[in-house]
Amino acid sequence: MSAAPLKNIRVMDLSRVFAMPFAGANLADLGAEVIKIDTCQAQFMDTTRTITGPFPDNRTGELWWEQGGTFQNLNRGKRSLTLDLRSEQSQAIIKDLVRLCDVVLENFTPRVMARFGLDYESLRAHKPDLIMVSNTGYGHSGPWSNFGAMASALEPTHGTGAFMGYMEEGPDGRLIEGQVPNKMGNSYSDFMATWTALGGLMAALLRRARTGQGQWIDLAMYQTGTTVIGQGLLDFAFNGSGTGSGTGKGTGRRTQRIGNRHPVWSPHGVYPCQGKDQWVAIAARDQDDWRALCLAMGQPELAADPRFNDPMDRRRHQEELDAVIAAWTAQRTSYGVTACLQDAGVPAGAVLNAKQALTDPQYVSRGFFETVHNPPEVELRPKGYVGRGWKFSGSQAQVRGPAPQLGEGNEYVLGELLGVDQGRIDAFASDWTIGNTPEGGRAPAQVPLDEQVEIGSIAEYDADYLDHLPSI
Amino acid sequence: MPAGLLNGIRVLDLGSGISAPWCAKILADYGADVIKVEPPGAGDCARRMGPFAGDDPHPEKSLGFLYLNTNKRGVTLDPSSPTGRKLLERLVAEADVLVENHPPARSQELGLNYQSLAEVNPKLVVTSVTPFGQTGPYRDYQATDIVTYALSGLMYHSGDSDKEPLRNVLDQSFYVAGANAAAATQVALFARLYSGEGQQVDVSAAECLGAHMVQPLPYYNYMGAVKGRRPVRGAGFEELMPARDGYVAPSVQGSRPWSTVAALIGGEELQDEKFATGAGRVAHGEELKQLLIKGLAEWDRMPLFLASGEQRLVFGMAQDAGDLANCPHLESRGFFVEVDHPVAGRARYPGMAVRLPGETITATRPAPLLGQHNADVYGQELGYSAADLATLRQHAII
Repeated sequence: MSAAPLKNIRVMDLSRVFAMPFAGANLADLGAEVIKIDTCQAQFMDTTRTITGPFPDNRTGELWWEQGGTFQNLNRGKRSLTLDLRSEQSQAIIKDLVRLCDVVLENFTPRVMARFGLDYESLRAHKPDLIMVSNTGYGHSGPWSNFGAMASALEPTHGTGAFMGYMEEGPDGRLIEGQVPNKMGNSYSDFMATWTALGGLMAALLRRARTGQGQWIDLAMYQTGTTVIGQGLLDFAFNGSGTGSGTGKGTGRRTQRIGNRHPVWSPHGVYPCQGKDQWVAIAARDQDDWRALCLAMGQPELAADPRFNDPMDRRRHQEELDAVIAAWTAQRTSYGVTACLQDAGVPAGAVLNAKQALTDPQYVSRGFFETVHNPPEVELRPKGYVGRGWKFSGSQAQVRGPAPQLGEGNEYVLGELLGVDQGRIDAFASDWTIGNTPEGGRAPAQVPLDEQVEIGSIAEYDADYLDHLPSI
Repeated sequence: MPAGLLNGIRVLDLGSGISAPWCAKILADYGADVIKVEPPGAGDCARRMGPFAGDDPHPEKSLGFLYLNTNKRGVTLDPSSPTGRKLLERLVAEADVLVENHPPARSQELGLNYQSLAEVNPKLVVTSVTPFGQTGPYRDYQATDIVTYALSGLMYHSGDSDKEPLRNVLDQSFYVAGANAAAATQVALFARLYSGEGQQVDVSAAECLGAHMVQPLPYYNYMGAVKGRRPVRGAGFEELMPARDGYVAPSVQGSRPWSTVAALIGGEELQDEKFATGAGRVAHGEELKQLLIKGLAEWDRMPLFLASGEQRLVFGMAQDAGDLANCPHLESRGFFVEVDHPVAGRARYPGMAVRLPGETITATRPAPLLGQHNADVYGQELGYSAADLATLRQHAII
């Protein structure tokens, strides 16, 4: 049996919400011991414990702070130590513990970390080769460094919306480039930070192994998000009024909002299918794809239609062409169109929702969703959780277990790792520094699913969803 | 702008397009010695991908190519010929990583599969980045960014609920896959420190995106709810709303009370207590939306954004390429790097995704011209003579 690649690595995870907790979860999957620094003070608790949900059957149980589905996905396989970072004794514990850790993950604003005395320079005094990722909206330097951030407001700020938007009706009634930015959604900026953090800290671990040197990684989600639209920034630099010398022939492009169309290929888009809100994506990269598409649709005459001769013609008549394709797809299921076009060698794929993804043959065949069993008192059925986009032929990576219950690792970390005597541990417990239940706070009220449909926070729901889940 | 974290690691980038080259660029930025290996003649398909510098469709002026391949050296090689294979094996013997993104069947044909490369160098990490991975019923599917995004389960949530799902035109699937591949490749290098052996890393772009489903997935398997796209009806917040010179994303997140938000945007009516709670804002969503539009019409994006940050609110603003290229904050972080390319010219490029305090960063090398480093790599490093190189060139092997 192959080994877990990070089995000798210990991580202190001071982070909250999505981006860094998920980086920590991936490190746990790789075998690292990840200690989540939790707190009993409900108002300072990770909001994925207290607010985000979703809760089983939309109801909070006795141990509601252990039950959030997003929390479970983001914190699987970790240990939990509760502390109260405002207190000096807790800060002292952090400094003792950091000596035994290789990596620290955190996402407080610079102001907060300095106030706690837990900034990189302070921690490095206790662990000279420390590797630490500080993830913030705007980074630890620059005029915006103390601004807070969250993905849904950050995403347009780092520019993805300049390259994403529906087309609009132009003066002659035909569609033209849109003016309104749109969003990837789903906390896209957070996940880019997750992957960037993993890459950066692995690079730092590799160097530490070689030279013994630590590294502070100042990760700004704003900056990270800007790198994935680099091509667009160069288009401005070379072809706009930017600083690039270029040839000056460009037109100053700052945005490109062309719906699901492609700048060169045609047809390219998503088309409606049978069923409620079902769609299929189709892309014809060249003339071969185009002819194969016409044949697969049973309309070989389309390939000879002068309006659709070459990609330029098809782009010019894309609305007519899209109507023809949509008429064909609307009679079929999204999976049916996918199979039919893939058989013909044409790129096509159903736009899956999470329900469909859970039973999708590709995901199932690769075991992407990994089953986690929680202890009975948490009142969560065994369920699938998201895996990773990479498989190793020679190393082990897997979800190690459920998210830790609040303070589950208190005895282990304080007693076993740090050798704190029982009297002091008891004193910590008596003033709520450590514990297994929240101090204050209450279970968040859940909006009934019918109402959630009404206000648009969900599209629909299945009361009999258990029958649609893959068997475990 | 290579940093020194991966000094001493050699990477062969046999990728084309975006995913594998982005992975290799990230490794190059961290200091790995990356040699880009392109097919002779046409080179990487990204060279034919627009937009181009000066809108001139020239193989050395593709902006995507120029961006994705900085800090790499470049050679040409046809690995399918026996002599080309020998050259490849010489390169592989000296490398730590080979990253590629051919369809699985094609990479088998080219002999880029892990088994055959490991015979040459058992310490080699081979990272293959494909839309769906090396196994499973979709492994041979034809896929582009939109198809990958669709089948990942993520596209369903992008865009407006009353319209079709929407993608980003800059092929985000392949950037997500490349970033994942860079991390996973380094995990395999780390494992090698203990095992002494290389291995295969099988990266599925769809699964890299699928891992983002930490909300939609439990919404279904915890309570049967299908999360859709954002509603058009204004629940009021975290949506893009028009300001005077563009769009802004106001938000109530952060530690500040509603009154701070209302006071910043302006207008008496916004101060109404009925908007002070989440439930109230939803219940009075349409009215709130109209008041926000009225208040925001008095603001330009940047002053509002700065004022919100100073008041510890968490607003966003929609920025375009020009805004970002001239962003004072990115400027002060030293984000942009000056790159002088012999054909395309000089420009400011986006730099690394992270800042590495204390690390000495060296100048950014422009993307290689096709075969620019053939003499360096094959001649000086592998010891081929000028006459050998001429022969290889004649046979279109390099």
